[in-house]
Amino acid sequence: MSGEVLYEVRNLTKRYGAVVALDDASMKLHAGEIVGLVGDNGAGKSTLVKCLSGAHLPTSGEILLDGMERNWHSPHDAIQAGVETLYQDSGLAPHLSVSANVFLGRELVKPGILGKMGFLSQKQMDVQAHHDLEEVGIAVPASGRSVSQLSGGQRQAVAIGRAVAWASKVIILDEPTNHLGARQAGEVLNVMLEAKAKGLGVIFISHTLPHVLQVTDRVVVLRLGKVVKDAPTSEFDAESLLGTITGLKVD
Amino acid sequence: MATTETHSPNPAGTQVVVASSRFKTLISNQQFILLIVWILMVIGFSLINHIFFSVGVAENILLDWAPLVLIAVGELIVIISGGIDLSVGAIVGFTGVISAFAMRSLYEGSLAEQPYLVLAIGVLVCVIVGLLVGLINSLLINYAKLVPFIATLVTLGACSGMALVFTKGAPVMGGPREAIALSPAWIGPFSRPVLIVVVIVLILWAFVHKARFGRYTFAIGSNSFAARAAGINVKRHVTKVYMLSGLMAGLAGFFFYLRLGSGAPTSGLGNELDAIAAVVIGGAALTGGVGRVSGTVLGALILTTVTSGLIISGVDPQWKRVVVAALIAIAATLQALRKTEGGAS
Repeated sequence: MSGEVLYEVRNLTKRYGAVVALDDASMKLHAGEIVGLVGDNGAGKSTLVKCLSGAHLPTSGEILLDGMERNWHSPHDAIQAGVETLYQDSGLAPHLSVSANVFLGRELVKPGILGKMGFLSQKQMDVQAHHDLEEVGIAVPASGRSVSQLSGGQRQAVAIGRAVAWASKVIILDEPTNHLGARQAGEVLNVMLEAKAKGLGVIFISHTLPHVLQVTDRVVVLRLGKVVKDAPTSEFDAESLLGTITGLKVD
Repeated sequence: MATTETHSPNPAGTQVVVASSRFKTLISNQQFILLIVWILMVIGFSLINHIFFSVGVAENILLDWAPLVLIAVGELIVIISGGIDLSVGAIVGFTGVISAFAMRSLYEGSLAEQPYLVLAIGVLVCVIVGLLVGLINSLLINYAKLVPFIATLVTLGACSGMALVFTKGAPVMGGPREAIALSPAWIGPFSRPVLIVVVIVLILWAFVHKARFGRYTFAIGSNSFAARAAGINVKRHVTKVYMLSGLMAGLAGFFFYLRLGSGAPTSGLGNELDAIAAVVIGGAALTGGVGRVSGTVLGALILTTVTSGLIISGVDPQWKRVVVAALIAIAATLQALRKTEGGAS
């Protein structure tokens, strides 16, 4: 059911001074595929996400999108190329409104000379943001409310809604089911399945292994900065996946 | 008995909630409170001495207000972005002095017959020098990785020091005499330069609250990681913000030149603190992401009204500092209250 290789990293290494956070990691993501990225704290998941999203430049290795080598110098580069990232807990500006967050960095402007000067078309953004969040369908807050007034679930809905609305190729979701109740978490998993059905590639980072086993096609396990396992989800059950993550089960 | 106790307080409880939410809306509208405070001040000072309620006094207040509001709005934009600019007062004196030197040499030389051209070049010098100091601030912050407080403390020292060294502490005179003639009132209590300041402030209001420039500034002050992750070039925007603040301080420097007819190295001394006071009284948060131009405009108006009012009331004007301190305390307390009530601006 998976298409061609969409997003790929080859031999990616990231050092912070003497610390090797990511050590020669390689993985592939196909179109219409959900890949789970799991590992213990400090295994290198966040570092890999930051390299994939353009937030950090890897020390060495290659990143390929659609078979072309890419050097993301900033998240802007990755976003422009269709790679959207939902960061764990820190992706929204709390003082801004819901619609301002959804459109952050891609504001709609008024027509003509006012638009050239950057004057915003706020009403249009409010309406469109509401529409985008309704599509996602999780706990839709009013467009004009400030994000600091929202519950954890609503914030997460805004962040996911933004990522889904803008992604044209790849969505990277770092702990998207955090702060969510069972029902809302289920809705987030559905959002991922819908994105997959549309032919997007989804990278799902989570500590909640049942969620990973439920929706992913393949699981990549990181330990101490290295990819220790990359296999179809059907090869794992909860116990063997946990064993692979912690390294207690060697295979 | 238990049922009556749980049921009967409900209507009263609802009323309390409604009243407290109204109170919340009211205290969260800082501009409204500031306007009331300012009107009460005007009434109070006028009752103490009826001379206060006159065009002449209003003219003077506006002449004090205009340069303060220029630097305060620049400071506001920096503070919304999560930074601070301590160099603005020093830029006022520095740009005034440099531009006075330039105007004097032009006026004594080739452009003696064209005073207004000389003044126009003087504005340009203030603008360019202000932008340059702002650029240096942003380079220190973005690339030398200094925190804004230290970066702008460095340029504060450098600019105020150079202004004193170049002038040996004396005002720089010898520019076009037409400068002073521009300051008296023109329409009502408004002089031409004051009206220009009003227009500049209106334009900045639009860019801060209605345009992408302001949106990015708020986003960076609110969560700079999120802003960068959303594709905003944070360093470039921070550069614009500090350059704008330098530009505003440069314009204030020229305003002082017009008022005094000379460039004094000491004009603007300590103005950064007045600007920060106006911004805080206006409801902005030093932690970034919060602030309104209208609040800062009123904050600056209240500061200058207090100064004039105390003088006219026959009170030692040094009391101004105490009154300002009290206003800052009240404004900051209101803000803390709003935060604990769970509201956002």
